[in-house]
Amino acid sequence: MRRRAWMGWKTGVSIANVLVASLVDPLQAETDFSRVKAYLTTYCIECHGAEKQKGDRRFDELSLPAAKADTLIEIKDILDQMHLGDMPPEESLQPPAAEQKAILEMLNLALSEGREKLASTGGTTTLRRMNRREYINTVGDLFAMNMDAFDPTTNFPRDQAEENMDNLGDVLQTSGYLLDQYIEAADTIVKKVFAHEAPHPEEHWQFKFGAVPGEKEGPKNGNGKFLHLYECMDTPNHEQGYAYIHQFKDGVPADGFYEIKVLVQAMNREHPYDPKIFGTDAREPFRLGIVPGDVRAGPLEMPQPLQPMLAEQALKDGDPAWHTMRVWLDAGHTPRFVFPNGPKNARKAWGPIAKFHNEKPGGRAPGNGGGIVEARRTAISEGKFPFIRIYETKIRGPIADQWPPRTQQAILGTIAFEPENMRKILQTFANRAFRRPATREEVDRLMTVAERRLSSGLPPREGLKEAMKDALKAALCSPAFLYLSQDTVPAAAGSNARPRLDPYALASRLSYFLWSTMPDGELLRTAQSQELAKPEVLLAQTRRMLASPRSNAFIKSFLDSWLNLRDLGSTPPDRNEFELYYAKNLGYAFKEETRLFMRDLIERDASILNFLDSDYSFVNQALASHYQLGDLGNPARAHEFRKVPLKNSNRGGLLGMGSVLTVSANGIDTSPVVRGVFLLENILGTPPPPPPDDVPAIDPDVLGASSIRDLLSKHRDSPNCFSCHQKIDPLGFALENFDPVGGWRTTYGKKIKIDTAGELPNGDQFTDVAGLKKVLLKRQDLFTHLLTERLLSYACGRRIDAFDDPTVTKIATEMPARNHGLRTLIEAVVTSEPFLCR
Amino acid sequence: MSAPTPNPHSPSRRHFLRTAGITLALPLLESLGSRVFAQNSTVGTLAGKVAGSSSPKRLVCIGNMLGFHPPAFFPKSAGANYQMPEDLEALKPYQKDFTVFSGLDHGVKGGHFAISSFLSGVRAIDAKGMPESNMTLDQRAAETLGGVTRFPSITLGSETGLHGGCLMSWTRNGTRVPPIGTPRELFRKLFVAEGSMGTAASLDHLDLKASILDSVHEDAKSLGSRLGQRDKEKLDEYLTSIRDVEKQIELRRKWAGVPKPSPGMTEPENRDFVSDLPVMYDLIALALQTDSTRIASFEIGGDFEASAFDLNSGYHSLSHHGQRPEAIAALIKMERYQIEQFARFIAKLKSIDDGAASLLDHSMVLFGSGMGNANSHTNSNLPILLAGGGFKHGEHKVYPEKGPNRQPLCNLYLSMLHRFGAEVESFGTSKGTLTGFA
Repeated sequence: MRRRAWMGWKTGVSIANVLVASLVDPLQAETDFSRVKAYLTTYCIECHGAEKQKGDRRFDELSLPAAKADTLIEIKDILDQMHLGDMPPEESLQPPAAEQKAILEMLNLALSEGREKLASTGGTTTLRRMNRREYINTVGDLFAMNMDAFDPTTNFPRDQAEENMDNLGDVLQTSGYLLDQYIEAADTIVKKVFAHEAPHPEEHWQFKFGAVPGEKEGPKNGNGKFLHLYECMDTPNHEQGYAYIHQFKDGVPADGFYEIKVLVQAMNREHPYDPKIFGTDAREPFRLGIVPGDVRAGPLEMPQPLQPMLAEQALKDGDPAWHTMRVWLDAGHTPRFVFPNGPKNARKAWGPIAKFHNEKPGGRAPGNGGGIVEARRTAISEGKFPFIRIYETKIRGPIADQWPPRTQQAILGTIAFEPENMRKILQTFANRAFRRPATREEVDRLMTVAERRLSSGLPPREGLKEAMKDALKAALCSPAFLYLSQDTVPAAAGSNARPRLDPYALASRLSYFLWSTMPDGELLRTAQSQELAKPEVLLAQTRRMLASPRSNAFIKSFLDSWLNLRDLGSTPPDRNEFELYYAKNLGYAFKEETRLFMRDLIERDASILNFLDSDYSFVNQALASHYQLGDLGNPARAHEFRKVPLKNSNRGGLLGMGSVLTVSANGIDTSPVVRGVFLLENILGTPPPPPPDDVPAIDPDVLGASSIRDLLSKHRDSPNCFSCHQKIDPLGFALENFDPVGGWRTTYGKKIKIDTAGELPNGDQFTDVAGLKKVLLKRQDLFTHLLTERLLSYACGRRIDAFDDPTVTKIATEMPARNHGLRTLIEAVVTSEPFLCR
Repeated sequence: MSAPTPNPHSPSRRHFLRTAGITLALPLLESLGSRVFAQNSTVGTLAGKVAGSSSPKRLVCIGNMLGFHPPAFFPKSAGANYQMPEDLEALKPYQKDFTVFSGLDHGVKGGHFAISSFLSGVRAIDAKGMPESNMTLDQRAAETLGGVTRFPSITLGSETGLHGGCLMSWTRNGTRVPPIGTPRELFRKLFVAEGSMGTAASLDHLDLKASILDSVHEDAKSLGSRLGQRDKEKLDEYLTSIRDVEKQIELRRKWAGVPKPSPGMTEPENRDFVSDLPVMYDLIALALQTDSTRIASFEIGGDFEASAFDLNSGYHSLSHHGQRPEAIAALIKMERYQIEQFARFIAKLKSIDDGAASLLDHSMVLFGSGMGNANSHTNSNLPILLAGGGFKHGEHKVYPEKGPNRQPLCNLYLSMLHRFGAEVESFGTSKGTLTGFA
C-alpha cells in the first residue's frame, strides 16, 4: 500500500470534487449538515452521546462544518465504521442503504472541505525559503560554480513536501539544525571559491597499466595487469563496473578542467555466446564513460551518490587506440572509467561462458569448473567475454583558465581587491545574492562581520581576504538570501485590488518558477527599470526563459512535483525479474522520456491533451526495446533519445510512459487501486477520499488461482466500499497490461489472462488502455483544470485553494480556444493575479 | 558606517547566554523574571547528578511506529510473577528489571497522525497551542543538563517510510529533531573528530558563526517589519533557529578542546535497518558508557522493513491484520525481534559497571509506542515498558483506562523527569507523578 494514498491530508479542490461527483453520480448533492446531524442523532447518539460514550467516541458535540482537526478525526472515525459496516451494530436500528450512502458521500465531502480549510493559507503565498535544489542552483549561479559533482547541502535536513510539492512556503520549515547547516555550507562554498591564492600550475600524470613489471591494480582487478571494465554501472555484485587508478585515488589537486587521454581497446564486441547472458546488443559499439569518484564518500569500485557522467565516447573495434576527453573535476575527485552499455551482470556470466568452453572437445569436464574464480579466468583468458581494456592513462590539468577564476570573478567583477573597495564588493555581491538592491543597513552589517576579522591581527592582505570571506558567508545565511522576497508595491489609492509583488520580488518568483534559481542579469535589469510590471515585458521574459536550457530545471522539478517522478525507484523494482531496468538505466530513460515530451510541448506550444494521448514519444533504443517498438536503426546512436511515431495506441501519452507506470507501482507488483488513485489525483484532479483505516490492504496473489480482479471484486461487494472503488478500480484495471516497470503483458504469470475492460460510474465503457484514453479525452476539461492548478501551485509556491478557483477556472476554460497550448498555459499562469500578488 | 542596532531583547543577549551557560532554552518573549527562575533551577548544580552520588542518571526512549499486537504484548495478570506474553518472552530473564504498564495513554486520537505525541503527550498539529509546544521527554530532560556532555541528546531513527521521517523527538519550538539514520553516522558523530581543525581554529569558527548570527538576526528583524502577519509567523522559525544555534555554539565552545572518547570498536558497516538494530543499541550503550550523552531517543520507524524477515507483505500492511491469523503471526515475528534486541540492550546495560551499580541502574530505558492498536488505529492503552533507573520493577502495573482514577502517560514521564533530577512541576499533559510507582 502506498503511503500517500492513506496519509494524504488531502486538500482536494472542492469545485473539482463537486464537478466530478456530479459527472459521476447525478444523485450527489452538496453537504447538508442538518441531514448528517439528524442521521447521527437517530442512529449513533444513543451510544455515543452525552450519556454514553462507547469506545470513547462522542458525536453529539460534533460541530459541522469541521473547523478543528479533532472534528476531522471524528468524521474519519465515523466514516471508518460505516465503511466497515460495523456501525450501527446489528442489534440497533439500521439506516436504509440509500441514506447510508448519501451520508457517506456527504461526510467524505465534509472531510475534504474541512481539511482544505484548515490547510488554507488564505490565497497568499507564505514567506518561502529556497528548498535544497533551489539552493544548489542559486549557489551555482551566484558563484559561477560547477555544481555537477559538488553538493554543499548533503547534511541539510530533508525538505518538507506536501502532495509531492516541494516548494510550498508554509510547508518548508527552518530549524536550528538547518540554520547551522546553512552556516556550514556557506563556509564550505566560500572556502572552495578561494581555495587557491594563485593559479594552480598544470600537472601531468601518466599511468601505464600493462607495461610496468609487477604492477598490480589491486585485488579487485584480479586477472590482468590492465584496468578492465566487465559490466554496466548498476549491477548487484559490482564486478568491475568502475575502473579507477589506484595510484590516483586521492584525486586531482584543484578544481578545474582536466584532459584525460586513455589508451583503450574494445575486447570481443562480437562473441560466440548467447547474447542473453549479457543483455547487450553486440552491434552497438562499446561506450567508455568517465564519472567522478570521491574516496572519502565510499569505495571507488562501487556506485557513489553523486556521479554525473562527465564524458562519454564510442570505441572502435581493433587495436588499442587513444581517446581524449576533457572533464571538470573537483579537487579530491578522481576520474573513474565506466562501461554504460556493458554486460548486465558479469558475475552471472562467468559460469555460462566457462561452461561453453569446457563442454567443447578438449575442454575440461563440464560441471565443476573450479568455482567462480576459475570460471572468470576462463571467460577472460580463453573466452571471448566482451569487455573494455585500458592500457594507459595520461592526465593533464588543471588546464589553464582565466585568473582570477570565474568563481572569484563572479564576486569581484572588475573591482580591484583593495581595502577601500570592501564596501563596494559587498554591496555588489549582496545585490545579487538578495536578488534586489541590498539596503545600506544590510551592507553595514556585512561590514561589521568583516571588521571583526580585520581587527584580528592577521597580516593585512590575508586579513582583508578573510574579512571578505566572512562577510560573504554572512550574506549566504541572511534571510534576504534564503527566503524569496515578499515585497509589494502599494495598490493605487482608492483601489481595492490586492497589492502586487514589486518588480524584484516578481523577478524572483518568475526565475524560481522557470529556472529554479536566481534571476539572471537581464531579468534583474527589467526589474530595476520597472519594465517587468508591463505584461508584454513579463511575457517576453517568460518566453526567453522557457527557451533557455535552464528551464530544464522547471520541467524536471515540475514533473517531480506533479507526477511524483522524484520517487521513481524509491521502491526498487525486483532485481531478478526486472534485470534490464538496472542494466539499461531505464529509471533514467523513463524520466527523460517524460521530460523531453514536456519540453517538446512547450517548444511547439502544442496541446496539453498530448499528455492524455499521443501518437509519438521520445525514446532511446533501450526504451524502444522495452516498449516493443523494434529497432531504431544505427546501433551507434542507440543511446540517443529521439522522437518516434508509435505504431499502436497502447503507448502514447502519460498513461503509456514507464515513468508514470513505474511510480504508480511498487516495483514488485501492480495494484489497480493504487494506479486508479494516481490517475484520479494527478490526471483527473478528483482525488478520492483516503481509504478507511480499518480495511486491510489487499495482498495481490498473482501466482495463485485468483486474479487481482477477483480479490478486488470481493472487496467491492460492500456498497460502502463500492461508492469509491467504482471510481477508482476501473481506471487502474485499464493499466493492468503494464507490469510494475511499464512493460507490456497480457497474462499474470503464465496462465491468468488479464482483463482490462471497465465501466465508469457514468456509463462510459472501455476494453483497454487505448479505450480509457478516449474516455479521458472526453473529460479533457478536468485534466486542463488539474494541470492549470498544479502549474499555478508550483509557480506560486503554495497550495491552490477555494480562493483561487475563479482564476484556475478562467484560465482552464479559455484553453480550448487557445488550442490547449502548453506554453500558452504557462504564460496564462505567469500573467494571472495569484502569480503577480503576494 | 553605522553601528548595528542593539538587540531589543537584551543589549547583552550574547553575554547573558555565555554567563548563564546554555541551559536556557526559553521562548523569545519570556520575561526576565522567568529567566532568572530558570537560571536558579538549573544553573550552578550539575543537574542529573543526584546529590552525593557520582553516577549521573541517563534516559533512553525507544519508540516503534506501529505499536504491538495487544494480546501478544500485555500480560494476562496484574502484579508480580505474571506469565510472560508471547512478544515479551525474550525479557523473561530480566523480569525483575522492568515494569509493564497497562492503561496508560495520552488521551489523543488520530491513529498514525497521533504517534508524534508518544514522548510529549501532544500531537504535532496541536503543538502551537501548548506552552511548551510538543516538547518531548528526552528534550525536556536534555534542557536540564547544560553542557555536561558533548551531546545534550541524540536522536536515532529513519527518514523514510510511512510517516515520511522520524517523529520521536521534538523541541520546545515544535520542530522535529532530525535523526541519525545509520550506525556509521552515529559512530562518526560520537567517536570521530570533526575535520582536521585544531582547537584555535574551531574556536575561531564558532566566533565567526556567532558574528554571522548577530548580523543575520538584524537582517531578519528588518525583513520582519515589511511582512504580513502570516509571514511574520513563518519568520519566527528563523528567529528561533538563531537562538538554537547560539546555544549550540556555546556548547561547542565548551567542548572544542576536549578530544572525543575512544570507542574500542571499529567503524561499523551500514546494512539494513533491521540488521543494524543490534549495532545501534550497542552504540547507544557506548554513548552512555563514555558519557558522550546521557539522553538518547530511538525510533524503530520507516526503514524497519518486513522484507528483512522474508515476509512478502509490508510491516504497515501486516499491522492491519484484519484478524487474519497468518498476518498476525508475521506481525508477532517482527515484534518479537524488536523485543529480543531490546532485551539484549538491557542485558548489555546491566553488564556494564557504573560506579557502585550497573549502568542499567542509572539508566531509565523506556520502550513503547504512540500507537495502541494499529489494526483499529487507536492511540489508547499504549504499550509501555520501563526498565532500570533505580525504580522498583518486576510487575505488570495495571491502571484504569478511564474514570476518575485514569492517569495520563505523562504522569509516568513526570516521575521519570524527577528521577532524572529535573525540578519540573508538570510535563505535557501530566496531572502529577504516577501513583503506585516509585
